[in-house]
Amino acid sequence: MRRMQSKIIQVTGLAFTIAYAVLIVWLYATEPRTFKEAATSVEVAAGTYQVNQEKFNSALDLFQREQFRAARDEWQRADPARGDARTQFYIAYSFYREGWGRLYYDQQLFKQGLEAVNRAIALASASPLSVDDPNLRMHSAAELKAELEQGTERSWSDVNPLKVLRTRK
Amino acid sequence: MTANNRSTNRALVDNVVLPMIFLTVVLLGGLRVDAENRTFIFVAPPLVTLFLGVLLMLLLVRGRLIRFPQWVRNELPPLTNIVHIWMFITLFFASVQAFNSVLPERGLLHWLFSFFFLWTLWNNQFSSFDPPRLLRSLAILFGTAFVLKHILLASLFSPEGGWLKRIAGTLLQGVSLGTLDEPNFAPATGYICFFTLALYVAGLILVGFAGRDEADPVVHPVIEEYQLPAADDLAVRDGAE
Repeated sequence: MRRMQSKIIQVTGLAFTIAYAVLIVWLYATEPRTFKEAATSVEVAAGTYQVNQEKFNSALDLFQREQFRAARDEWQRADPARGDARTQFYIAYSFYREGWGRLYYDQQLFKQGLEAVNRAIALASASPLSVDDPNLRMHSAAELKAELEQGTERSWSDVNPLKVLRTRK
Repeated sequence: MTANNRSTNRALVDNVVLPMIFLTVVLLGGLRVDAENRTFIFVAPPLVTLFLGVLLMLLLVRGRLIRFPQWVRNELPPLTNIVHIWMFITLFFASVQAFNSVLPERGLLHWLFSFFFLWTLWNNQFSSFDPPRLLRSLAILFGTAFVLKHILLASLFSPEGGWLKRIAGTLLQGVSLGTLDEPNFAPATGYICFFTLALYVAGLILVGFAGRDEADPVVHPVIEEYQLPAADDLAVRDGAE
């Protein structure tokens, strides 16, 4: 009886402490900055994470009114874990639209856009990401990525005066 | 009944409490709180702390605080051996993180502290220790490092300090050609570190007591040295006290 009790304690203790150790490794790997972020990371790991739809819609409204920075702020609040491919796609798109210029592209914004679209592509690795939004002229993440990459590259076509005739997508 | 309770309590301490304590030290040892926006920063242990951890484990074995051959041996059931090895693994990583919590994050001070830890631990390898003396020595070692890092240095490099402190900090930076660069953490970091070290030392004390039950009567170095029967244990301990 005593031996059995001791065995139960050993097995339970081992299982419990291994689970605790896994939690610690996970915390150090994900590095949450607040308790709230930690809770969000837990939701992502458990597969129960969802973006805040209300904030997402409000950001979309701002995006359509060309308030890109405000839209990005709102999308970041809607998706604090950066775990939703669609939201990351829109964030990348807002970087593209804000950084696009008839004479030159804002390199800094395009680079940030590229990071966001790469996140979106990584999140939607199972199938190619496509967003059905009639207000957008690029619907797939691959198109957006190509456009952003083109904007960050330097080439002779940059000095082509006909460049001013290009249109924003 | 008393023996049964004692055995259950002992099993709980060895298999649950001790690994939990050491894992909590692992969790908190690398945790800092940013001074500006009060967010968590998780600092992974630098490579040098792994080496310090190995030296400390050797010292714990040499100082007979960890009685490895009695915890892990052929006669014990495999599960018991596994549980004990797991406890030693948690102890090793707790030691690593205890060093991580008191080492300055970067710059010349990081290397100075590392060097002094290495020097102390290396010297101690050749000293004769008994468990209480080793525990006192480790408590003082970590206590001193805590005072230096979280009280003295934190105060010198704090942006909220008075003008005298700021002048002293700037002078130190100037004299050392900027190599004494130390990040600013919120005061909560000091409290977390204190709690971590207290927990670590408490864990070591519990490990020290872990050998003192009926299954493990050989405790005193004299008894161990001469392999005296358990009946002489009390007499030797009384004589020592």
